Amino acid sequence: MKTVTNKFSNIFDSIMSGLSKYKEAIVKGDLFVKLSFLWMGAGYFRRKQYIKSLIITLFEIAVLVFTFTFAIQYVPKFGTLGTVKQESVFNPITMQKEFNNYDNSFQILLFSLVSFIVWAIFLVVYIRNIYRQYQLQLDEQNGKAPEKFKDYMNKFLNSKFHITLLALPVLGISLFIIIPLIAMIFVAFTNYDQKHMPPTELFTWVGFNNFVQLFGGGGITSTFGYAFVRVLIWTLVWAVFATFTTYIGGILLASLINNKRVKLKKMWRTLFVITIAVPQFVSLLLVKNFFADGGIVNTICANIGLIDWLRDIGMINTTYIPFLTSPGWAHVMVILINIWVGVPYQMLIATGVLMNLPNDQIESARMDGANSFQIFRHITMPYVLFITGPALVTDFVRNINNFNVIFLLTNNTYTTSNQALANSQAKEIDLLVTWLFTLTRDNYNYKMAAVIGIVVFVISAVCTLVVFKRLTSGDKEGAYR
Amino acid sequence: MKIKFSDILRHLFLAFLALIWLIPIVWLVATSFSKYTGMNTSTFFPEEWSLINYKNLLFASDSVTQFPSWFKNTFVIACATCVVSTAFVLMVAYATSCMKFKMRKTLMNIGITLNLFPAVLSMIAVYFILKALDLTNNHLGLILIYSATSGLGYLIAKGFMDTVPESLREAAYLDGASEARVFFTIVIPMSKPIIVYTIISSFLVPWMDFVFATLMLNSGISSNWTVAIGLNNMLDRMLLNQYFTQFCAGGVLISIPISILFLIMQKFYVEGITGGAVKG
Amino acid sequence: MNKKRILSVLLCATMATSIFAGCTQKQNQSPNNNGEKPSVNLTMWGQEQDQQMLQGMIDDFEKEYSKYADIKVELGVQSDAKARDRILTDQEAAADVFSFPSDRIQDLASAGALQSIDDMSPVLEQYAGKTVDDVKKANIEGSVEAATYDNTLYAFPMTADNGYFLYYDKNVISEDEVKSWDTLLSAAEKSGKKVGMILASGWYNASFFYSAGFTTSQNKDGTTNIDWNGTADYSGVEVTQSMLKIASNPGFMPIADGDMSNQIASGKLCAAISGTWDANAAQTAFGDGFAATKLPSFKIGDKDVQQKAVVGYKMIGVNAHSKNAGWAALLADFITNEDQQKARFEIRQIGPSNKKVLEDPMISENITASAVVEQSKFGVRQDVGNNFWAPTKTFGEIVAKGQLKADDTAGIQKALDTMVEGVKAPIE
Repeated sequence: MKTVTNKFSNIFDSIMSGLSKYKEAIVKGDLFVKLSFLWMGAGYFRRKQYIKSLIITLFEIAVLVFTFTFAIQYVPKFGTLGTVKQESVFNPITMQKEFNNYDNSFQILLFSLVSFIVWAIFLVVYIRNIYRQYQLQLDEQNGKAPEKFKDYMNKFLNSKFHITLLALPVLGISLFIIIPLIAMIFVAFTNYDQKHMPPTELFTWVGFNNFVQLFGGGGITSTFGYAFVRVLIWTLVWAVFATFTTYIGGILLASLINNKRVKLKKMWRTLFVITIAVPQFVSLLLVKNFFADGGIVNTICANIGLIDWLRDIGMINTTYIPFLTSPGWAHVMVILINIWVGVPYQMLIATGVLMNLPNDQIESARMDGANSFQIFRHITMPYVLFITGPALVTDFVRNINNFNVIFLLTNNTYTTSNQALANSQAKEIDLLVTWLFTLTRDNYNYKMAAVIGIVVFVISAVCTLVVFKRLTSGDKEGAYR
Repeated sequence: MKIKFSDILRHLFLAFLALIWLIPIVWLVATSFSKYTGMNTSTFFPEEWSLINYKNLLFASDSVTQFPSWFKNTFVIACATCVVSTAFVLMVAYATSCMKFKMRKTLMNIGITLNLFPAVLSMIAVYFILKALDLTNNHLGLILIYSATSGLGYLIAKGFMDTVPESLREAAYLDGASEARVFFTIVIPMSKPIIVYTIISSFLVPWMDFVFATLMLNSGISSNWTVAIGLNNMLDRMLLNQYFTQFCAGGVLISIPISILFLIMQKFYVEGITGGAVKG
Repeated sequence: MNKKRILSVLLCATMATSIFAGCTQKQNQSPNNNGEKPSVNLTMWGQEQDQQMLQGMIDDFEKEYSKYADIKVELGVQSDAKARDRILTDQEAAADVFSFPSDRIQDLASAGALQSIDDMSPVLEQYAGKTVDDVKKANIEGSVEAATYDNTLYAFPMTADNGYFLYYDKNVISEDEVKSWDTLLSAAEKSGKKVGMILASGWYNASFFYSAGFTTSQNKDGTTNIDWNGTADYSGVEVTQSMLKIASNPGFMPIADGDMSNQIASGKLCAAISGTWDANAAQTAFGDGFAATKLPSFKIGDKDVQQKAVVGYKMIGVNAHSKNAGWAALLADFITNEDQQKARFEIRQIGPSNKKVLEDPMISENITASAVVEQSKFGVRQDVGNNFWAPTKTFGEIVAKGQLKADDTAGIQKALDTMVEGVKAPIE
C-alpha cells in the first residue's frame, strides 16, 4: 500500500515539476517559443534546425488534417454513439440503393478511441515541444551550440536505441491489441447485442447494467450467473491441470531421454517432436474423430470387450464410450489429450534448460557429498524454476485462454444435458473463452462477451501478477549471467 | 559398457511412450493412403491402399480442395510473418534485456497485462479496424495480425538474452561500439538458437490459426484461403464423408515441411544452447 | 477498385436514363447514348456441393443479360447452415446474393440484412418480364410464406425439400412395417440393425411435439413462443414418455447431430430419419433395397398418431447493402426460376418449390422427391427464434441418453418447464 501511495506522489511530483517548467517556458520564453504554441516548428526554425522544424510541422499538420477530416466525423457523437438510424430506398433507375447519412455506433466507438489516442500522443509531444524550444533558447543564451541533426539521429542508434527498437512493435501492439481491447472494454458498458447491431441498428451506453446482470441475475435468463460460476470453476481446474501435467511431464520426459545411459537420444526426441509438427487443428480434429462415439477407438474397445465390461460395472450406459461427448469422460479426455499435445513442447524447453545446468555447482555439491536428490532439490530445481518460472505463469494464463484444444475437440459434437447451462448457451466442457466465442459467434451478444472477457482478465491478473511478482522480485535477471 | 536390466526397462518405457504419442500420427498417415473417401471406423489400417487422395489433392482441384493455392497462400503469409515477427521479437527482447531506460518496467508490465486478455475478445474489433484499412480479404491483413502483435511474445527471447554475459557487451562499449552495433554484431550472433526458435514458431502461426483467418478471409472465394481454413472446411458435416481421407493427406503434406523445420529447430535449440552463449 | 465501382455506378445511371428517357425526372443526367453497356460486378454465395451447378447457372445468367450489361459474378463458398452467422457478423462484407434455409429468414430480415423483393418489382418487370406476384404464384404457397416476413417478400423461394423423412432398406423392412414405430423397431431388432434418428436437435425432436398439436412461433422481437410444457391434443409429458419409449427400444439408435451420414455409411442402420442431403449415403448403404417414405406413426398413450415433420425451404436472398441491388435481384430471380429449379433437380436431385416443376413426372418417379411430397402433407413450418435451439437440443440429448424415466412425470414436467423457460428467454 505504501509503495502505491509513494508511486502516486512520485507521479504527482513529476507532473507538478513538469507544469512548473512549462509555466517557466511560457513566461520566460521568447517570441519564437511563444509562437511554437501555434506553429510547433517555430522554435526550431529560429534556431536554424530546419529539418527538425519541418518534421514537427508536418506532424502538426498531419494531426490537424486527421482531426478535421477524420476525428470530427466520430468524436462529437461519442456521447450518444450515434442517433441517425440507417434508412434506404431502392432506386430502380440506377439499380442501386440510396442510403441516408446514417451513424454506425461501433465505428463511432472505435474511431473516437483512435482519435483520443492520437490526441493524447499529440498532447505529450506538444507540451514537450514547447519545453524543448525553451531549452533551445536557454542553450542559445548560454552560448551552447545547438545539436546537429545528424548527431540527434545518431542517438537513435545509441542511447535512444530502445526507441528505434520499440517503435514498430509498440505501434503494432497498440493498433491490434490495445485499441481493440479498450474498444471491447467500452462495449461492456453498452447494449451491443443482436438487437442493436450496426450498421442497421444503433447501440448506446448503459453503464454497469451488464455487470449487474451477470452477478445479480435477473435480466437475461436466471441461469446466467449459475452458468458463469460452473464455467469459471472448470476453467480454473483445467488451467491448473493443463499447466502442471504438461510441465511436469515435459521435465520428466526430458530427463528420461537425457539420461546418460539412454541410447539414440536424438531419435527419441524426434519421435516425440513429430507429433507437434502436425498442426494442432489437424491433429486435434483427427484425435476428435479418433475418439468419436462411432470412431475407431470405440470400435476397438468394443472388439476387445472393454465396452461391455464398462457397462457391467456401470461406468457407461451407452453402446459406446462417450470419450468426448459426456461430462466427466470429456473433462478427463481433454486433459489427457492436452498432455499429448503439450508434453513434447515442454520437453523441448526442458531439454534446453537441463543441458544448460550449472555443472560446476553440481560437481562441487557432489564433492561435498550431496546425494542426487539434494542436488535436484537445491540446484537443479531452483535453476529450472528460475529459467522456466515466468513461462510457467504465462502457460497458466495461456491455458485459461486455451481456445484451440477445447474448441477443436468438442465444437459441434458435445451436447450438454444440463438444461440450466443450455439455457445460457454454455456447456460443461466450455472454458470462459469458448463460451465467450459462442456468445459472440452464434448470439452476437457482444456486451456479455465483453463482460466475461473483463472477468477473465481480472482472474488471470489476480492469479498471475502475485506469482509473477514473487518470481521476478528483487530483479534476479543478473543472477545466472 | 554392461547392459543393465534397468536400461532395457528404460528403453522399453520410452518405446511405449513413443508408441502412444505416435498412434494418431500413424493413423493420419495410414488413412491418407486409403482408397475409401470417408472415415474408416472399423479397422485401424485402410482396407485398400491407394495414392488417389494425394493425386486429387495436388492435381485435381475442385471448389472444396484448392490445396496448391492454399499451400502457396499460407507459405507466403508464413514467410512474411516470420521475418517481421522475428525482427520484432528480437528488437523488443534486446531493448528490455540489455538496455536500461525509464519506461522499461512500465512497458514490461503493460505487456504482461495485455497477455492476460483473451484474444477472442477483441477479435471483432480487430476485424473492423482492418476493414477500415481495407485489409479484410487480403493476405496483407492476415500478415499484419500475425506479426504486428508478435512483440508481446518476447519473454523467452529476453530470458535467453539475459544469459548473455554482460562483460561481452561492456567490452564492446569500451571499444566505442554503438548500441546498434552491439545488437547486430554481438547479441544477435550469440542468440542463434533463440532466433531459430522464434523463426520457426512464428512461421507456424499461419499454419495453425483458423479462427482469425476465417473471420478475415470472409469472401467465400476458396482459392484465397489458407490451409487451415480449407482443411477445416473439409471436415464440415456435409463434406466429411467425401473428403476425410483427403483431409488426412493434406495434413500429412503440410506436416512434412513443418517436421523438417522442427528437426532443424531441435538441433539448434539443444546444441546451440549448450555450445553457445553461456560457455562462450 | 473504388474507381471501378464509381465507373459502374455512372454507367448504370446513364444506361438506365437512356431507357427511361422521357418518363423520368432524372433527365439532367448526361445521356450517353453510344450504346456502351454498364459493367456490373456481383458476388454470390452457394453451398460447397452446388458450386459446379451454380457456376453453370451463373454463366447462363451472364449470357442472358449480356444485352443489358457486362455482368461478372464471382461465386464463393458458404454453407447454408452457417450463412446467417457469416452475414450477420458483417452485413456489408456478405455476398450480394446468397442462399439460406427458411428458418433464418426472421433473424436476417429483422437485422436488416435482406433486401425487400417487393421493392424490386420495377426491375423484374423491366428486365425479367415478370412481376413479384408472378414469382409468388409460381412457387408453392408454403415456400412463399416462408420467404415472407412482416408482409414483405424477402427472398426468392428455391427449394422445398429442406425437411426430413424416413429412409429404409426394403430388403430388411417391409412396406407395412414402416408405417408405425412399433413395427419398424421390432423389425429392426429382429434383423440386428438399428433405426437411426437425431434426437439432440430441436429441428428433429420437435416433430414429436408438432404431431401432438403443439406449436412454436416467433415474435417480432426475435423471442419464441412455445407451449410444449402444457397440453395440446396430448400433454407434453405424454409426448416425452412416447419419445422415451422409442429411445429406449433396443432397435433404436440415437444419432448425434451431424453424424447421420457417417452412421448411414457405416451400415449399422436399416432405417434412418434424414433429408435429401443423405440420399446418396442411403442409396450406397441400402443398395437395391433403397426406399424412402413419410415418417411412421407413433403411440401416445394408446392412440396412434402420424408423426409430422418440419418442412423447410431454401431461398435466395439479396443483400440489403449490395452495391448493385437491382442486378443482384435479377440474378437471384434467375437462379430460382422454373428452368433453373428444373436443372437443379436434374443435376442434384434438389426438390423444387416451383409448382410447374413439381408437376413434372420425373419428381414422382424419384424415390426421395416423392417421399418429400408425401411427407409435406404432414409437414409443419418451423418458425422459431435463436434461443430455441440450445434448450431443445439439450432436451433431446436428455431423452436420447435416457436420463429421464418414463414413470417420473414430475421430472419430465420439470425438464419441459426448464426447456420452455430457456426457449422463451428474451433476446439479448
